Amino acid sequence: MTVHDPGAGPPDEYVEAEIHRLLTEDPAVAEQGITVVRTERGLVLYGEVESANRRNEILRRVAGRFPDVPITSDIGVTRTQAPTEIEQLP
Amino acid sequence: MVIRIAAVGDVHLDEDVVGRFRPALEELPGRADVLLLAGDLTRHGTEAEARCVAQEFGGLGVPVIAVLGNHDHQCDQVPQVVGALTEAGITVLEGDGVVLDCADGRLGVAGVKGFGGGFAGRCASDFGEPEMKAFVRTTTESADRLSAALQSLDCDVLVALTHYSPVPDTLAGEPLEIYPFLGCYQLGQAIDSAPTALALHGHAHHGSERGVTPGGVRVRNVAHPVIKQAYSIFYLGDHLDQAEVSSVGTGGIQQSWS
Ligand SMILES: [Fe+2]
Ligand SMILES: [Fe+2]
Repeated sequence: MTVHDPGAGPPDEYVEAEIHRLLTEDPAVAEQGITVVRTERGLVLYGEVESANRRNEILRRVAGRFPDVPITSDIGVTRTQAPTEIEQLP
Repeated sequence: MVIRIAAVGDVHLDEDVVGRFRPALEELPGRADVLLLAGDLTRHGTEAEARCVAQEFGGLGVPVIAVLGNHDHQCDQVPQVVGALTEAGITVLEGDGVVLDCADGRLGVAGVKGFGGGFAGRCASDFGEPEMKAFVRTTTESADRLSAALQSLDCDVLVALTHYSPVPDTLAGEPLEIYPFLGCYQLGQAIDSAPTALALHGHAHHGSERGVTPGGVRVRNVAHPVIKQAYSIFYLGDHLDQAEVSSVGTGGIQQSWS
C-alpha cells in the first residue's frame, strides 16, 4: 500500500484527472479541448478556446481549486479570419 | 459543375463570442453556395446561447445547414435550441436531409449528430449491461438514420454532415484512449452506403483535417480549433482547376491499426 503524505497535497495523477473533469463539468468553463500536462515545474494547460474571457476564467478556476499547485497556461484563442485558400475535391 | 461549400464546427458560442466570426461570414455570399455547421454550436445548449448562434450565423445571404453536437445537448433544451436556430433561417438536420438548388447543380446534405463507439477492431459491442447496450444502440441507430437520409436524396453532389467522426484518420492528434468517445466506424459505413462525395465532422478539437473512409469518401474535420480560421471552403464538382485538386490518399495520417 502506498501511503501519501497528506501535507504534500493530492498525488499529481489525481490533480490532473480532477482538473480535466473540472474544465468540462464546471458550467463556467465547459471545455473538453484543454490538455493538462504535468511537468517538473507544475501543470501546464494547453488548448484553444473561443474567447479571451474563457482563457482567463480557466486559469482562475484551476488556480482557485488548487492554490498550491504551480500552473502555467498556454491556451490560445482560435483565430476567426476568412480563409485565404480553398480546397478542390474532384 | 462546381459546388462551393463553406464549413466549420465547434464554434461553442455564447455572448462572449458574438461578433468574432461575423466579418469573415459577411464574405460568404460571393465565396460559397452554402455554410455547413458541424455541431457544438453552443457552449451548454441553452436557448440563450442558441440565440447567440442565430445572431452570428443568421441572415448571411447563403443557406446555413447545421447538425447539433454533444455540447448542444448539455442543458436538455434541444427543442428550444432547434427552435431558435430555425427561426433565424438555419436548417437543423438530425437523421434527415435537404437538397439545395445551387447555381451549378443540386447539392444534397444529409446530417446526424452521430455518437461514439470506436472504430473497427477497437469498438464497443451491443453486449452485457443495459447501459452498454443503450450506448451502442444509440450509435447504430444514429448511423442507420444517416444511411437512410443519404440514400433518400436526389441530387448531383451528396455531402454527409456529422458532429462525431466517421473515421479515425481525422482524430490523429487526440489521445488513442479517447477515440471511442470521438466517433464510430458505423458512421463511416453509413457514408459508404451512398454515393457520398464528402463527409464533414467536428468534435475532435485536437484532431487533424484530412481522412478517407474505407470506401474512399473524403473526410474533413472542420472543428474550429483544427482549421484555425472562421470556416474552410471546399469546391466539389467536375470542372475544377486540376492543378489545385486534392486527390484521395494524399490526406490523412495512416494509423498502423486502422
Ligand atoms: Fe466541440
Ligand atoms: Fe463535441
